[in-house]
Amino acid sequence: MITVRVPSPLRSYTAGAAQVSASGRTVAELLGDLERNHPGMRFRMIDEQERIRPHIRIFINQREVHALNEDLRSSDEVHLICALSGG
Amino acid sequence: MTLSDSERERYSRHLLLPEIGAAGQEKLKRARVLVVGAGGLGSPASLYLAAAGIGTLGIVDHDRVDLSNLQRQLLFATADVGESKARIAQARLRALNPDITVIAHELELRGGNALEVLRPYDLVLDGSDRLATRYLVNDACVLLGKPLVSAAIHRFEGQAMSYVPGRGPCYRCLFPESAEGLVPNCAEAGVLGVLPGVLGALQATEAIKLVLGLGEALIGRLLTYDALAMQWREFRFARREDCAVCGTQPTILGLTDATGESGQAPDRAARLKPQQLRRLLESPGQAGEAVAIVDVREPREFSVGHLPGAVNIPLASLSERLVEIPPHSSVVFVCRSGNRSQAARELAARAGRTELADLEGGLLAWAAMVDPAMTVAPFK
Repeated sequence: MITVRVPSPLRSYTAGAAQVSASGRTVAELLGDLERNHPGMRFRMIDEQERIRPHIRIFINQREVHALNEDLRSSDEVHLICALSGG
Repeated sequence: MTLSDSERERYSRHLLLPEIGAAGQEKLKRARVLVVGAGGLGSPASLYLAAAGIGTLGIVDHDRVDLSNLQRQLLFATADVGESKARIAQARLRALNPDITVIAHELELRGGNALEVLRPYDLVLDGSDRLATRYLVNDACVLLGKPLVSAAIHRFEGQAMSYVPGRGPCYRCLFPESAEGLVPNCAEAGVLGVLPGVLGALQATEAIKLVLGLGEALIGRLLTYDALAMQWREFRFARREDCAVCGTQPTILGLTDATGESGQAPDRAARLKPQQLRRLLESPGQAGEAVAIVDVREPREFSVGHLPGAVNIPLASLSERLVEIPPHSSVVFVCRSGNRSQAARELAARAGRTELADLEGGLLAWAAMVDPAMTVAPFK
């Protein structure tokens, strides 16, 4: 299982959890697994054209994800980052 | 710009640091720094910058002090409730350090005034509470070539990054477009009062380092802070060649009041389905209002097949050729699949045009749902 760090604006989908586990060999599969367990979460990150939404960034460990077909290893940690607006 | 005896005493702990010394302190005295937003972030940031002896400190805020601000906005006291934030901040910072100049900009930063407000400063700190303002400040800094130290907070979480012209990516490289409405602010989501203290102090640290040319700045690095887990993390990100403001072919070339909202998420109503476009073309409205169809594909694609009456302005040349579109007409952008047309509509909106729409799904959808006789050229 892969550890996924959830930013606070998306925690309404994870019952407040800052960290969840999910499985997948690619980022796309991981997002599919997240959606199965946390319905509605994927659409907050991925648009109708299968692109990462422009206010969301996904990092595998510290490396930015540019395409959903990027591979994942079970030791990876995935960080979902959301633009914050508060000041 | 030498230091007086009282300044030498005031800044003695800085002067003891070989990395700062008298020469560094004089640099700080010559520096002009603008803090956008006298809120949770702007409070600690401006207090520390004033204390550090930044010679000219500007504070932008159009709001008034509210009782609910005092849980985290340390510039203000209970007696200040109802007063102008910029004015109170000015008085508080002057009281802290009478040797510096504090300028209160009691105004709302908009596309129409951002460049003028930012221009006299050497460096900008963004502590605003709206995404649209964050994009505006970023775009203005890129256009003016000013370093920017940006931070934002939400509940128990914060993030910070710096932009230095020519040395790395800007805020828009990280988050290309805003999602106002999808990202709640402090008033909507709540915030731990001390959280902006941590991030605001970090912004002041970055600003002082940038002025002095000390250490490693947060360039191309997003620093995140989780107060509950008490964890800092760093994520590397690169400049985007296609960044709308700092990329190789920027589409944001200036700011107007219309671009003050440039970070707004695209309005869904501005995307027409093929059937809606057909109805619009069949009955173009009252009083003969014109609808201009602008096809933003390449000439090669346009020549294979296009909508009747469409004019061809490829997306790559749209910013220079916007003037060719009649000013008082409604405009519908079209392309092959709807991606270029959406970009075209957003570009035109940033340039101040109104009455804009684009064809959702592009001519492929048009051919599928309205006109099977339409031939749509492949993209490549």
